Amino acid sequence: MASHYEAPIRRPLVTGEKSYHDVSVDVARPVEGKANKSWWIVFSISLAAFLWGIGCIIYTISTGIGTWGLNKTVGWAWDITNFVWWVGIGHAGTLISAVLLLFRQKWRMAINRSAEAMTIFSVIQAGLFPIIHMGRPWLGYWVLPIPNQFGSLWVNFNSPLLWDVFAISTYLSVSLVFWWTGLLPDFAMIRDRAVRPFQKKIYSLLSFGWTGRAKDWQRFEEVSLVLAGLATPLVLSVHTIVSFDFATSVIPGWHTTIFPPYFVAGAVFSGFAMVNTLLIIMRKVCSLEDYITVQHIELMNIVIMITGSIVGVAYITELFIAWYSGVEFEQYAFLNRATGPYWWAYWAMMTCNVFSPQFMWFKKLRTSIMFSFFISIVVNIGMWFERFVIIVTSLHRDYLPSSWTMFSPTFVDIGIFIGTVGFFFVLFLLYSRTFPVIAQAEVKTILKSSGERYKRIREAGDSLAGTATDDRTSGSKENKTKNKK
Amino acid sequence: MSSNKKYWKSVEELNQNSSIVETLKQNEFVEEIPVDEFLGDKKTLESSNTTRRDFLKYVGFSTAAASLAACEGPVIKSIPYVVQPEEIVPGVANYYATTIADGFDFASVLVKTREGRPIRILNNTMSATNGSANARVNASVLGLYDSLRAQGPTKGGEAISWSDFDREINDKLISIAAANKDIVLLTQTFASPSTSKLISEFSEKFGNVRHVVYDAVSESAALDAYQAKYGERGLANYDFSKASTIVSIGADFLGDWQGGGFDSGYAKGRVPDHGKMSRHIQFESNMSLTGANADKRVPLTPSQQKLALSKLYSLVVGGSASGNLPEHIEDAIQKAASQLKKAGSNGVVVTGLQDINAQTVVLAINESLSSKAFDPHTPIKIRQGDSKAVTQLVADMKAGKVGAVIMSGVNPLYTLPNATDFAEGLKQTELSVTFSMKADETASETGYLAAAPHYLESWGDVELKKGHYALTQPTIRPLFNTRQFQEALLKWVGSPLSYHDYIKQTWDESVLNGASFNQALHDGTFVSGGSASATTETFHEDDKTFVGGIIEDVAEGLGLKEKANNGSDESNNISLNAISAGTAARALASSTTSEGLELTLYTKVGMGDGQQANNPWLQEFPDPITRASWDNYLTVSKADADELGLVNTYVANGALNSNYASVTVNGGEAIKVPVIIQPGQAKGSVGLAFGYGKTKGLKSEMQTGVNAYALYQNFDNVQTVSISAVSGEHEFACVQLHNTLMGRGDIVKETTLEIFNTYDKEDEEHGWNKVPKVSLNHIETPVTSPDVDLWDEFDRSIGHHFNLSIDLNACTGCGACVIACHAENNVPVVGKEEVRKSRDMHWLRIDRYYSSEDSFENDNEKKDNISGLGSSLNEFSEMEHAAENPQVAFQPVMCQHCNHAPCETVCPVAATSHGRQGQNHMAYNRCVGTRYCANNCPYKVRRFNWFLYNNNDEFDYYMNDDLGRMVLNPDVVVRSRGVMEKCSMCIQMTQKTILDAKRDGREIKDGEFQTACSAACSSGAMTFGDINDKKSKVAHLKQDNRMYHLLESVGTKPNVMYQTKVRNTTEA
Repeated sequence: MASHYEAPIRRPLVTGEKSYHDVSVDVARPVEGKANKSWWIVFSISLAAFLWGIGCIIYTISTGIGTWGLNKTVGWAWDITNFVWWVGIGHAGTLISAVLLLFRQKWRMAINRSAEAMTIFSVIQAGLFPIIHMGRPWLGYWVLPIPNQFGSLWVNFNSPLLWDVFAISTYLSVSLVFWWTGLLPDFAMIRDRAVRPFQKKIYSLLSFGWTGRAKDWQRFEEVSLVLAGLATPLVLSVHTIVSFDFATSVIPGWHTTIFPPYFVAGAVFSGFAMVNTLLIIMRKVCSLEDYITVQHIELMNIVIMITGSIVGVAYITELFIAWYSGVEFEQYAFLNRATGPYWWAYWAMMTCNVFSPQFMWFKKLRTSIMFSFFISIVVNIGMWFERFVIIVTSLHRDYLPSSWTMFSPTFVDIGIFIGTVGFFFVLFLLYSRTFPVIAQAEVKTILKSSGERYKRIREAGDSLAGTATDDRTSGSKENKTKNKK
Repeated sequence: MSSNKKYWKSVEELNQNSSIVETLKQNEFVEEIPVDEFLGDKKTLESSNTTRRDFLKYVGFSTAAASLAACEGPVIKSIPYVVQPEEIVPGVANYYATTIADGFDFASVLVKTREGRPIRILNNTMSATNGSANARVNASVLGLYDSLRAQGPTKGGEAISWSDFDREINDKLISIAAANKDIVLLTQTFASPSTSKLISEFSEKFGNVRHVVYDAVSESAALDAYQAKYGERGLANYDFSKASTIVSIGADFLGDWQGGGFDSGYAKGRVPDHGKMSRHIQFESNMSLTGANADKRVPLTPSQQKLALSKLYSLVVGGSASGNLPEHIEDAIQKAASQLKKAGSNGVVVTGLQDINAQTVVLAINESLSSKAFDPHTPIKIRQGDSKAVTQLVADMKAGKVGAVIMSGVNPLYTLPNATDFAEGLKQTELSVTFSMKADETASETGYLAAAPHYLESWGDVELKKGHYALTQPTIRPLFNTRQFQEALLKWVGSPLSYHDYIKQTWDESVLNGASFNQALHDGTFVSGGSASATTETFHEDDKTFVGGIIEDVAEGLGLKEKANNGSDESNNISLNAISAGTAARALASSTTSEGLELTLYTKVGMGDGQQANNPWLQEFPDPITRASWDNYLTVSKADADELGLVNTYVANGALNSNYASVTVNGGEAIKVPVIIQPGQAKGSVGLAFGYGKTKGLKSEMQTGVNAYALYQNFDNVQTVSISAVSGEHEFACVQLHNTLMGRGDIVKETTLEIFNTYDKEDEEHGWNKVPKVSLNHIETPVTSPDVDLWDEFDRSIGHHFNLSIDLNACTGCGACVIACHAENNVPVVGKEEVRKSRDMHWLRIDRYYSSEDSFENDNEKKDNISGLGSSLNEFSEMEHAAENPQVAFQPVMCQHCNHAPCETVCPVAATSHGRQGQNHMAYNRCVGTRYCANNCPYKVRRFNWFLYNNNDEFDYYMNDDLGRMVLNPDVVVRSRGVMEKCSMCIQMTQKTILDAKRDGREIKDGEFQTACSAACSSGAMTFGDINDKKSKVAHLKQDNRMYHLLESVGTKPNVMYQTKVRNTTEA
């Protein structure tokens, strides 16, 4: 067969020689089946953490921000650290679903649903913090430019915090619409398979009366593209604006023009790590190994490696610019970051974010599922520390040494953070039991991308007749069993 | 009352048994109501736009609304005046001049009252003597509203009426007098001509009366020395503004030395004027406020101080002094001596050593210098205590010789080192009465507690200095059933007069010499004698503080009379023979043996002798030196601490912890004291403050620290102690945790007098106040240039534009402004735990920095010479530690009211924004509490309300009880939780001034605009005013060469400016 050039064949994105029906069955299985014991255990733990977090939030709001560890010098610590961390995590979802859609990266199809779910759930966590960190959260609506009875009072458009409000709310709504649009055919699939009337009713409501007509599909494609176009700049804008909270200030260590790209890269970095964390578990628990393959994990690891390196360059640039600027406050801020009382946070950040992703240069490591999972956790920890380092170490020693102090969290700070982690997992676990966790309609479009199987059939000299994968569409049973050899 | 009236409705009713009348009675409606017809008509029903649903909605709504309206909120009834007092206008403050004389603090003050409530203490600028209120005096108004005050007389803890009280005591006094036992009046220093006269009348009536004057913190040795030399029991009076060289050996004259009040004179001489300023050399063991302000500070132990003083005497006056001092001290003494000699009559020497020899030697040196700063004609009268008499009294009481002891203004069971002896003595005493505002340690052990009024409810008079009188008048009706000591004495001697009449009589007879009593009362101060002309001169020179336009210029023609004082008639005049200064110097030099560590007991600016320990403002007031609040502690040098195993550690949230030291004097009882390692503390010496460790008559939160009086043997403030480390963790609450300036010389700019006089401020090499430059298109441009400004210039030339100037040379760091700000602006007290978490609420703080090298200049140099990573790591970490004997700088910092405020741009709801008059406003109602503004403030002056401080059991200081709330300033809102608060540049005061001037149709005079801090500042360090008034003092200060803005390079353009600190380093 060496007589002719054979074009390389792309590796299949879905393994296990799935038929269309198999896909439907596999995707619908967690929704239709019963939750197993481990789901209940994880769910109970998450729910407990969530309830504990709610308790801490209620305590904070009823008693005062004084229940946190903040002080006159360090006015933000865990609250905004958590906020930026959660927003950052959200970024991967939009990147995967929108940017990769525009770039026609088909491997995104197996993971975009969950990545987007993760986005929405983490933005919900993120959105919580700007509200509860306020001294008077019941007046939180004052940050919205709504007509009011207070005279000519209006919001301050100079404030990056206000832009945050716009950025996060836009982001959440666009992501939600995008996500839901993609869900429609899949909800319809579950609706059609549903046997219990209640379930059928619910899923028909959720699927907005999807019929599967060609017109539906056409509109679906159009809306997806438009939303992808809308969401793509948001990937860049949201974290850029979040970084303005710091970049537009006058505090050494915050006032840095490198922040927007650095934050976006960091966000993608942490987002992909979180996607890895979640999907490595999910593919196992929901038996989706054929859809979320090692190849997916490897590709994501490569993104993690690249963005991690970008972040690393940013860290080093910061240090260089601090030295090069000749501004003593700036120089001291970075010296203090790396060697001051919070040196351990800085080096935790450096180790987790800059050194650990470099292992991904090795194919063996980046295709190892256990190792990928480990690194994804490490990166998530590292990115939390990055935000902590930026916020707390810049504030705790700024201009006047008389105001220098330290920060240490209280149980409430920690409780609320754990609570949001719990809340996130509660949402994600509920999602994984009720939503089609894989965009099956899209996945079905890439089933036959692989010619590997047909090549095998041909080489074996078998007939191609009746080789379609689906029982209901293939030829005789005989032929099929023969082919399956 | 039933009525038989009958009303006729119709003629028909005349006809009895009329069927129509009967029918009408039965049927209200004569004709049938067409209900069926109405409801049956579907058409009309349908055309009606009131549906059944609507009807039910309206009924439901109105029922709900009615029931809601019926719910009543808590009703607080305020009772209006039935008859409006003529002098009280709601919303307008009244001011009264009065005098505090609590035995420790003596000051002529002005009391601001609102709707009859005293709410603030201000300086009485008309007073030539002690006219400035220190931090404690500023805070004293809160003592009036102390919820733990004694509310009426008690006998053995049971309430008793004043008439029974009088009767019982009178009977007992008569019987004791008949039994020929002693009747002792143990009192504070009143320095009151009227009280002295009254006491002598009392003695006449009962005979056998002994008046013992007792100062908790004794100046007895100084008094004895003065008395021996000048024949009058008083303290030497100094005016440091007249001195060009000041040498102090252990005298904390900016603190409470000799009763205090020297700081304004001192500050005057410290501001470089025509190239001159005073030079101040301080020899001391503890790091005191005075030492921190000195140009040169030499740490040495108290015994070395004695030797140093005798050497100084031998060098300046003559004679020889034996004994050896370490070389650097010897050298410093020699230089000090030659500078003194050079200064001649412009030099002055003072000492705080409670040693008659030391005091004698100092008087002799000043006499030999014929120091202009020392005025022997007007001795200070505000300390009269006689330690020997007190010791004798305790012995007599124990021996059962004393029949009655009547106390006023003293708390010996707390302040005596041998309190148990006194308690034993009390048991032997038949009658014991205490006039006290509290059931304190002593009052609760005596037979009778006579509830005493606060000074703001009392009458009184004081002779502050010889010939300088002051009057105390009540500013409010007594809140409780109280009576002052003098009133009681009047009752007991059987006088029909009230104390007010008695004072008036005394003054008419022997003080006023024809001048008007009412005028003196109005002014609160009266000067007689030769020094009057000098003081009236200073009145004209000084800028008047106009407080709401209340004080008129009435200083002229005051008390120009020649009459020697005869008011103070000491009941126990101990005559002392003059001691020869030479002998005294020799005695000093030979008395310098000591083993172990030497403890110097001192008083803190915030707590004094401890009378006001229940005052939360003072408890939370950070010590100017250690910046610790809510505590006293043993100050130890680093070297000694290492030797003894005493440690200071910082915990995770930055707060300071220490272990304890066990301190013993003469093998007596050991007390356990927390430790602060104090830079500048002389090796071999330790320090401990009085005023803490009270246990009775104060809230549990205020029971802080340890009682240092237990170590105050023989009323000597220097004790030899043995110290050992005790394990344990003591938690401090410091408002400042980082002590050094880290070589950031731009924050506290300073230079030396020599450079200041020689070079231009922008001089290339020696420039001492250069404006920072930034590069604009590769051209160095000053940051003040509009070219490098992000924002368009805003025209600020119209209207007022307020600026505050703070002179770092004049500021002594005394902290009166901090308390004044607290009182004026209703700043909440947050308590020790919160301060420990770095959540102090002070709107105005006084930063204190230590140098980490010998001087700040060396710090800057060291920082500039850093090169490379290794060196910066090393040297920055070295710079975090203060030097062994550091230079000290004070810098008051409040909101800088930046014209380009970083806080204003970041607030999402525009709660903080800029005012037309330069202030950075804070709209508390609009604030949602994101704290972004505080983060973005380079000065870190914004304070967040972490909790609801004013209605919260956790913060039960004064805002949580009705009595304490009476001190709140009604012009300033009490902030709720969750909002950011900060200095407003006292906008309520500036607006008041503007409105007053508008009403009067006049222009505002310079000096009329004040903030609480600038009005409280007696050293003239703070000048507030309108820079658009080009003739104003503040406008001139803005053009001054020394002027700089804090962190100018950030480009915030603040409205607060600082004047570069100049140190006089000229060695002779």
